[in-house]
Amino acid sequence: MNPDSFENLRLELRRGCLVLAVLAALRREQYGYTLRKTLSKHGLEIDEGTLYPLLRRLETQGLLASEWREEDKRKKRFYLLSPEGADVLKQLLSEWKSIDSAINTILKEHDHGTH
Amino acid sequence: MELIERYLQAVGFWLPNRQKDDIIAELSADIHAQVEEQETTLSRKMNQAEVEALLKKRGRPVLVANRFLPQESLIGPVLFPVYCFILKVVSLCYLVPWLLITIGLMIANPALPANQASPSWLTALATVSGHLWTAAFISFGTVTLIFAIMERVQARSNFLEEWSPSKLPPARNRNLIPRFSSSIEIAVNWVFLIWWAAYAHSSEILIGSSVRVSLHPQWSWFYWGYFILALCNATLAAANLLQPYWTATRATLRLLSDAVGAGLFCWLMKANILAGIFLPNVSPQRAMEVTQAINHWVAAVFPVGVIIAFVVAATDIYRIIRVKNA
Repeated sequence: MNPDSFENLRLELRRGCLVLAVLAALRREQYGYTLRKTLSKHGLEIDEGTLYPLLRRLETQGLLASEWREEDKRKKRFYLLSPEGADVLKQLLSEWKSIDSAINTILKEHDHGTH
Repeated sequence: MELIERYLQAVGFWLPNRQKDDIIAELSADIHAQVEEQETTLSRKMNQAEVEALLKKRGRPVLVANRFLPQESLIGPVLFPVYCFILKVVSLCYLVPWLLITIGLMIANPALPANQASPSWLTALATVSGHLWTAAFISFGTVTLIFAIMERVQARSNFLEEWSPSKLPPARNRNLIPRFSSSIEIAVNWVFLIWWAAYAHSSEILIGSSVRVSLHPQWSWFYWGYFILALCNATLAAANLLQPYWTATRATLRLLSDAVGAGLFCWLMKANILAGIFLPNVSPQRAMEVTQAINHWVAAVFPVGVIIAFVVAATDIYRIIRVKNA
């Protein structure tokens, strides 16, 4: 398979998952850099060019709230999941689990069919 | 840290004013947090080369800024397939015929540079390609402009959302031959046959009571050639009427008939078929000049005939391939 095709499919698959991961991680208040570190620590690398526009978009949609605050003598913008964002996260997690379950069922059916 | 300031300024250049300060402040905080972390790991200040490498990894300023901007397109994904289709139609139905006719006329017209001595061919080629680019630029530019306007209108009115499956054209079988067209073909061929037999059987044709056209003795070949061809075409059309779909055999017969017809037509153009014209009150010398001029101009259009023959043959060959792959 063409490596570019795989990379495109991988990015497509990750795109939706990243939104879920960002919303989940922001149940605890964080600023951009620490959020990036948190996601990276859990195996989800995300570059700043993707993260900051995503944070802005989610904030515009009312799913995140943000405020500028000084910490360690430097002004930083802290993000936190809004109540509306919490509702959306709940729905998205339910959807995620249902997709996961459906894919597992399909894979199991296929395994039974081939053995 | 001057490099970081320069980088942020370059990113800021591409950002809209109302968001610029906010985005730059956040990017600045992120870059400085990264620098501080690396300096803690290194237990020293980062040097110029290391800062440069860090910024380079973040990407070109215009690309970084672009990620913060709303995604915009001149022609969006809804209209884009239609746009591509129209460009293909413009190319095939306007630019290609335009090019073929221009080339044909250049070959045929002795006054044009293509028929003059070398190196006029190169000049002619340059002229044609120059005109072609202008025609392509204007036609593609016009189509693009119309679609860009449609995109803006569509975004506001969503007129493309209003459609009904029942208004879609009926499913098409490309190997089906409409019975109506077969009937028309039979009628046209029989009308031609009757007219041909009545008026074209002799090499001496009388037009009105005073004009007489004399044809070359080779005319009998053309007469019988087209007579037999018209009979074959009428028979093929009758077969198509009874079994209204293309088969490989009938598609091949159509290719053969078209090839023979095109071959005869091209031969006719080069055959100086007009032997003489006899007009009242016109001297024999003048009539001969008119005859030669007509033969000359018919022969001059020969390349156009060849091009048309190739287009017809290509269409027929494509039909055979389509039928075999069906």
